[in-house]
Amino acid sequence: MWSSEWLILLVGLPFLGSLLTALLPSHSRSAANWLAGAMALACFGIAISAYSSVTDGMVVRHQVEWVPHLGLSLTLRLDGFAWMFSMLITGIGALVILYARYYMSPKDPVVRFYALLLAFMGAMQGLVVSGNIILLAVFWELTSIFSFLLIGYWHHNQAARDGARMALTITGAGGLCLLAGMVLLGQIVGSYDLDVVLQSGDLIRASDLYLPTLLLILAGALTKSAQFPFHFWLPNAMAAPTPVSAYLHSATMVKAGVFLLTRFWPVLSGTDAWFFIVGFAGLSTLLIGAYFAIFQHDLKGLLAYSTISHLGLVTTLLSLGSPLAAVAAIFHMVNHATFKASLFMAAGIIDHEAGTRDMRRLSGLFSFLPITATLAMVASAAMAGVPLLNGFLSKEMFFAETLEQHRASVLDTVTPYVATIAAAFAVTYSIRLIHTVFFGPRASDLPKVPHEPPRWMRLPIELLVLACLVVGTIPGLSIGSYLDTAVVSVLGDATPVYSLSIWHGFNLPLAMSIVALLGGIVLYMALKSYLDWCEEGPPIFRRLKGQRIFERILVAVSWRWARVAERFLGTRRLQPQLRLIVVAAILAGVWAMWGARHLAPQLTISGVDPVLAMMWLVGGGCAVAAAYQAKFHRLAALIFLGVAGLVTCITFVWLSAPDLGVTQLLVEIVTTVLILLGLRWLPKRDDQIERHGFWVRLRRGRDFFIAVIAGAGMALLAYYMMMTPLPPSVGDYYLQHAYSEGGGTNVVNVILVDFRGFDTLGEIVVLAVVALTVFALLRRFRPAEDNSELPYQQREQNEYDSIQRDREVGETLKDYLLVPSVIMRWMFAAITLLAAYLFLRGHDLPGGGFAAGVAMAIGFLLQYLAGGTRWVEERLRIRPVQWIGFGLLAATATGLGSLTVGYPFLTSYFQYTEVPFIGGVPTASALFFDLGVFSLVVGATVLMLVAIAHQSLRAPKARPDRAVAERAAVEQGES
Amino acid sequence: MTAELLLQSIQLSMPEIILAVGAMALLMVGVFSGERSTSMVTGLAVGVLIIAGLWLLLVTGTGSAFGGAFLADPFAKFMKVLILIGSITAMVMSVGQAREERINRFEFPVLIVLATLGMMLMVSANSMIALYLALELQSLALYVVAAINRDSVRSTEAGLKYFVLGALSSGMLLYGASLIYGFTGHTGFQEIAAVLAADERSLGLVFGLVFVLAGLAFKISAVPFHMWTPDVYEGAPTAVTAFFAAAPKVAAMAMLTRIVIEAFEPITPDWQQIIVFVSIASMILGAFAAIGQRNIKRLMAYSSIGHMGYALVGLAAGTQAGVSGVALYMLIYMVMTLGTFACILAMRKKEEGNVEEIDDLAGLASTHPFMAMMLTILMFSLAGIPPLAGFFAKYFVFVAAIEAELYALAVIGVLASCVGAYYYLRIIKIMWFDEATESFVPASGELKLVYGIAGIFTLGYLFIGGPIGAAAQAAAASFF
Repeated sequence: MWSSEWLILLVGLPFLGSLLTALLPSHSRSAANWLAGAMALACFGIAISAYSSVTDGMVVRHQVEWVPHLGLSLTLRLDGFAWMFSMLITGIGALVILYARYYMSPKDPVVRFYALLLAFMGAMQGLVVSGNIILLAVFWELTSIFSFLLIGYWHHNQAARDGARMALTITGAGGLCLLAGMVLLGQIVGSYDLDVVLQSGDLIRASDLYLPTLLLILAGALTKSAQFPFHFWLPNAMAAPTPVSAYLHSATMVKAGVFLLTRFWPVLSGTDAWFFIVGFAGLSTLLIGAYFAIFQHDLKGLLAYSTISHLGLVTTLLSLGSPLAAVAAIFHMVNHATFKASLFMAAGIIDHEAGTRDMRRLSGLFSFLPITATLAMVASAAMAGVPLLNGFLSKEMFFAETLEQHRASVLDTVTPYVATIAAAFAVTYSIRLIHTVFFGPRASDLPKVPHEPPRWMRLPIELLVLACLVVGTIPGLSIGSYLDTAVVSVLGDATPVYSLSIWHGFNLPLAMSIVALLGGIVLYMALKSYLDWCEEGPPIFRRLKGQRIFERILVAVSWRWARVAERFLGTRRLQPQLRLIVVAAILAGVWAMWGARHLAPQLTISGVDPVLAMMWLVGGGCAVAAAYQAKFHRLAALIFLGVAGLVTCITFVWLSAPDLGVTQLLVEIVTTVLILLGLRWLPKRDDQIERHGFWVRLRRGRDFFIAVIAGAGMALLAYYMMMTPLPPSVGDYYLQHAYSEGGGTNVVNVILVDFRGFDTLGEIVVLAVVALTVFALLRRFRPAEDNSELPYQQREQNEYDSIQRDREVGETLKDYLLVPSVIMRWMFAAITLLAAYLFLRGHDLPGGGFAAGVAMAIGFLLQYLAGGTRWVEERLRIRPVQWIGFGLLAATATGLGSLTVGYPFLTSYFQYTEVPFIGGVPTASALFFDLGVFSLVVGATVLMLVAIAHQSLRAPKARPDRAVAERAAVEQGES
Repeated sequence: MTAELLLQSIQLSMPEIILAVGAMALLMVGVFSGERSTSMVTGLAVGVLIIAGLWLLLVTGTGSAFGGAFLADPFAKFMKVLILIGSITAMVMSVGQAREERINRFEFPVLIVLATLGMMLMVSANSMIALYLALELQSLALYVVAAINRDSVRSTEAGLKYFVLGALSSGMLLYGASLIYGFTGHTGFQEIAAVLAADERSLGLVFGLVFVLAGLAFKISAVPFHMWTPDVYEGAPTAVTAFFAAAPKVAAMAMLTRIVIEAFEPITPDWQQIIVFVSIASMILGAFAAIGQRNIKRLMAYSSIGHMGYALVGLAAGTQAGVSGVALYMLIYMVMTLGTFACILAMRKKEEGNVEEIDDLAGLASTHPFMAMMLTILMFSLAGIPPLAGFFAKYFVFVAAIEAELYALAVIGVLASCVGAYYYLRIIKIMWFDEATESFVPASGELKLVYGIAGIFTLGYLFIGGPIGAAAQAAAASFF
């Protein structure tokens, strides 16, 4: 018994050889050749020795577990059909390597060539012996990659690069489809094991997923086998070195597609979909390939189209669904491989010897190369289907099958006619090949004077042609049993009775053959003179090149569309990006609303207080106005925004959350003022930018619209939230326990200073850190003394003052907002009092340390606004850092205080203290803590404010963009 | 919280604590010894990350800490190991370029450690608040890192853009989280799931879900919140981009996985729709937009958008196979990305310094065969061509989607990867088939090491994939 471990060698040896070859130094041409040849021969030997283990439908399996729980294992499986392919792959591979030894020029880097060829052989070998359908798809893609590298081997040649890229794009994409198909197939069957899949034919055909699976698998197979409408990549792949063409387009690459169709024939065929799709593709390919082949001037081009046509023949046979047709298909695959490989090699010799492959220039080569010419003629005859050669036998079987009725339809009816016409075309191009190249007057203007090639270079052709002859004359004795092995492994019990004899008597298929032969000869006579001068390609269709269409599409999709899409959709500017995100968020919201509209409760508007409604109307109006003004007048927009915020605060109070309302109000004021101070850093209005006109209005209108939609959506959502009863939350706990345990009725304050005192301590520390950081950062902003000057506004004011006769410099500033600033100065005392009030009542009523701190900070802020930085700092010594320090110390000390009396950190003590004239005042130890919060908030806010305010004293002298330019110039000078 | 519980929590979060303490200590080292200390701080930072990683692998157990806000489970462990590897590699790779571009400030490694800390917390976050805090810790560090090259207009612009857009998306996330809290009354993922399972859905909740997912989509740069990616990738120094492309993506994806699989498990059909949409849009945009790019960093940005789309295919399935597919995808994606960026960092000419145009790779095969070989393998792998690692990454997520009967998603994914393959192949074509111009200066040892390992990992995945797949399965099992 043949050990199954040999299978690993069968797949692994070529890869190993490839790796070893790649490691050879680049000048070791002979060593690389010997190594590659030895590897191929070794594989061939292994394949031969396996024969006895695969006869009669026996299967050799070898399994390596990979991810078993996902059903993934590396299974190798050799049956009769795979064996036959292994023989072709390794046998013809060895011959190609021998041939390449003489074909490749001394200038070519052959080490890479052999390494790639061996790797390709390994991939192909892996493809045929895969026992797991995913593994099969993996090897399938590998063949695409290595064929890409082989076709593009002469990469200095533009045609080779284009051909390689196209081959990879088409077959690689097909391979991905195949993979998807395999996954679906595995999904239907529940296993990725080939044996299991092959036994589940009925299950697969009955499945709902059958059609998509079939389409995906066919997409893979038809692209690989260059079937219509994917046929156009194959002729372009002819830019590869001839040994590669001989290998890829006879025994391997393109055969992979029909191999796959045959492999899955038992489980996928027999349905209408299979019959029509595969049949249509096969039949059109058969005809188109043969027709196009006639009009090629390039020798290899002719052979390429002929290959397409013969693959179409095989595909057509497979489409029919009858076992006998499958036998014919398998038989023809072998026959085609032998005669096409020999023809490609012969074409390579002609190219090599004569220096051209153009049939218009080649003529009368018989006298130069008598032996090669004879061999080529035999092989061509086999291609044309002349009796006593192998091509004849399988073609006869094909004719016989086309005459059978398989599925009543137009396609079935036309098949025999199309077959005969295509066969006639095949005869025409075969005669043309022989007649133009080898006969006629001796060509005199060839680039080189041809000679017979070295003996060993011809040997592969001799062997292959011998095979054609032997199979053609004594089929039963030569190939019969091997073919039977292959057929049984595919068809199993359904193997029909078939006869390989040459003579079946005078019957309809023979008549078709004779018609085709005669018709082909007549057609050649008729076309001969036209062919000598016509342009390359068949009439009419030559303008309709699949290749050109493909490239157009590729360019359109890959460059033009992509660029256009990027121009419209992509942007590098921040504003459009922001806009897109906001729009995406709106759309997401709309989509959610739409998708879940059945969940939306009926929003009833009832019992609305007219005052609240009025206020909301004002707030909403201000928000809309802010959105509108944002593009025109920032200050106005900010003020509108402030009003909208104010309405929000009042709403909080209205909805009985006064504590929150106060806090919100103060935060609102501080942020508004800070933004106000920040406004001056924004760039001034640029007069270059167009401000009127239709498009400007439209753009602004669009942004306004987006803003309004987003705002309205948020408002709606907020309203909806308020209308919905909320689940119990953590807040309820605090509401219940605020008084009983914290001794306060202002729940927010109790939470801050008591329940979550530890958090608050952390937060105020963070606030202090932030304030210090902002201060430090803004100090770095401050320009150096010799680089700074007064800000633009102040310079303008001073200039105005100096021009006016009755004014002194600085007067404008002094008189600036005189009345409001006086009021604001007087407000300071009132605000301080307010802060103290808020602080003291904080425990029970809206207020507290935080609110008081912010209020106090507002007092300072107003002074800065009213009097200017210098005026304030001349009169008032604020030491924000001390405030911060005191605040932190006070808060921490309060916390530590509870430790001294034996309670955990920050435990609050609470009681009412009787104070003269005022009465009972709530005194909690938390009050000291709150004092710390107050002090820290004042300090932090004022510190940031001071840092910002100081920016108004000086501005950097030079314009920033000029500075960048200068800097670049300096750097350039340095380098 | 009793002392015992606290101790237990600390034990579970020890790797994070090591990082936090380490980052602060390194900051001190840097501040007090000045700019000279950069290389020392970098070395120490790598050390801190390695110690945290070893602790994570060898000591840390599983369990829930800090009142359920922090979860240490096999999934978190898997993802954290990825994050640490990504951060360490990116930091090692950054050394050379940082020196050349004069951005070797000691703050850089410290910020990377802090960002890594944020990412690890994101992966373990088990409540909305923990999630948000972790996310912001990571994001803030990243905002600064993106703008680390203050002298470059492009870099500062990238940092600013990332900050503005990131802040917007964080806002959305927070809004969504508050809606969810408002309607469920909980922030913990398990509690949210319990409420969702018990009650029927409400409109507010759907809104919350949508906004949370929108915020998270920004972090993984999924369409339609992807706009920042190409600009930031291109603008930031390449060493920073390499960091951006790897670890943060892993963390954000892990976080997204945890939140949808755990917290929103009862409303799977709702989030599934969103994820499917985002996934399809990302795959298609990633495939088409990358084609027209000339700058390799922009190309990688679109490539990463596409890859996030593929990873989401697995998440959309919402099954154990899907989550394990996501985990595996992120691993393989990270290795491929780091390897590719090592190659990009090695694109360095004598006169011009670092170059970023794809055309600069012309003829790489003849000038730097090893690098060309590795980059070819990585490109084939990114394109998802078998038998390289990238193929298996795609394979597992697509299979998960098919098993979950999301056929349309899988088919669109396969088609998009066909288109996507095109631009990777273009790079290969340029490297192998175009004429070489000026060659690059030899790559430094650490870059060679990174792309060598990445290439070999990708190539040999077929042989080492078994145990890795098993680990991903085990990680995914934490949810099911």
